Amino acid sequence: MNNISPFIFYCPTRIEFGENLSISAAECLQTSGGSKVLIICDEGLIKTGVVAPILNSFQEQGMIAHTFSDVPSDSDLSCVNQAVALGQAANCNAVLAVGGGSVLDTAKVVNICLSLGGNPLEHQGMNNLTRRLLPSLAIPTTAGTGSEVSQVAMIKDAKEGRKLLFGSRFLAYDTAILDPLLLVSLPAKLTAATGLDAVTHGIEAYSAEAIRSPITDALCLESLRLLFNFLPQATKCGDDLAARANTLVAASMAGMAFTNAGVGIVHALTHTIGGQFSTHHGATNAVFLPHGMRFNFDVVAHRYASVARYLKFSDNQNDQTAAKIFITKVEELIAAVGLPTRLRDLGVPNLAENQIAELAYLATLDSAIMFNPKEASSQDMVNIYKRAY
Amino acid sequence: MPVFASSEELIEVMENLWKRIKADPSISQKLLQSKLCVRFHYRHPTGQLTVDGTDGLELKISTQESKIKPTIEMFMQSDLAHDFWIGKLNLAVAVMSGKIISRGPINQVLALLPVIKPAHSMYIEVFQSVKNKM
Repeated sequence: MNNISPFIFYCPTRIEFGENLSISAAECLQTSGGSKVLIICDEGLIKTGVVAPILNSFQEQGMIAHTFSDVPSDSDLSCVNQAVALGQAANCNAVLAVGGGSVLDTAKVVNICLSLGGNPLEHQGMNNLTRRLLPSLAIPTTAGTGSEVSQVAMIKDAKEGRKLLFGSRFLAYDTAILDPLLLVSLPAKLTAATGLDAVTHGIEAYSAEAIRSPITDALCLESLRLLFNFLPQATKCGDDLAARANTLVAASMAGMAFTNAGVGIVHALTHTIGGQFSTHHGATNAVFLPHGMRFNFDVVAHRYASVARYLKFSDNQNDQTAAKIFITKVEELIAAVGLPTRLRDLGVPNLAENQIAELAYLATLDSAIMFNPKEASSQDMVNIYKRAY
Repeated sequence: MPVFASSEELIEVMENLWKRIKADPSISQKLLQSKLCVRFHYRHPTGQLTVDGTDGLELKISTQESKIKPTIEMFMQSDLAHDFWIGKLNLAVAVMSGKIISRGPINQVLALLPVIKPAHSMYIEVFQSVKNKM
């Protein structure tokens, strides 16, 4: 019998799923006590018209809403500070985030500063927040990040060229509305890249030996089943609502898993490269994923094998064989959705040895590495980087 | 029953441990490269210890209230600190579960874990010597 190690599973976010449900955002925040809402999104989303019905819902509800739409794809401290200034000037008492991972993470850190005061750097850390934040609602417009249900946020410190970690149970959104209609206009490239982020969450959380649990295992397995089944179709045919819905729900499930079990070496490397070269998070994960899986292979082959069997990729009872099949399937998925497989294809320049060594060292400092099932040295990071380049 | 009988005992163990670490260049030189100032806040029994390597030249160890603003602060039960040093604590679990609360860039401390590995055996010696004396 397999013993269950002590664990904590926490997911306080209320999840509402349904087509066109995003127009209930105003009502949802009003119920939570919000009256002046800071809406955080990005300019691209405004242009697509996706946000307009949500904004209208605030007018119809007689609520005041201030929109901050200057969130870049890789948000940083200056963006957070600008949004906080707007929220403070307007005396906002609730936060709505509509967008991808960068927007959702930005809004979390903005909410910390609006609720507790001070500047973002003062609130860096794990479990250091001491009280509830302002009412918050997340409406993801990508299926990948899982930020709508996670208790962490990462923001770039552009000056230092690294990601800052914020983590607390109070950081989780009160509510997440999953509305697949909002994803219909998401370009294929972004669908694929964000989807691979969710796949990476599922695989890394399932492999993170230290604090995973039967609950996170179940979330990982089922989210991976949905992603492998529906991500290629969502990428190929963006208006397939069933594919959009399944990948959206799967991404949230993987988000619940990783926020309770951790991620690993793939995310550590991706955070480092993303911090330096502003590569897309999901696309960078996709490049590193097969390499990270091979690095961890000797300690978690049995875990990869059980995924392979659950997804019916293999019924081979030899763990090594089934695990290898799973890695091949991951590579096939990446190819099927048309993502690059080399760092150079993401625009990462050819670096000198000392620059690679510096990046590798930074990856060993990344918070994600503490959950990796196998210790990784700077040299290990260099080796993976070179293979991925 | 708590591992440390009193704040004095806790502080003596932790201060002696960090003096041993400071005296070992194979550890202290690597810690100095990080130029960090880390403050540990212990409770049950209470105690505070600051290790300041911000000048990159010398690890300054202080157990008094200090006005120096640390880069990172870590808050934990004294028993938990003992469990860490004797190798019984999974730091990832402690950080995720909130048993250790961190303020500041915790990843920079985590990066130093391999550096301080040799100090685990030092701790056991220091702990036993203080216990024998008390």
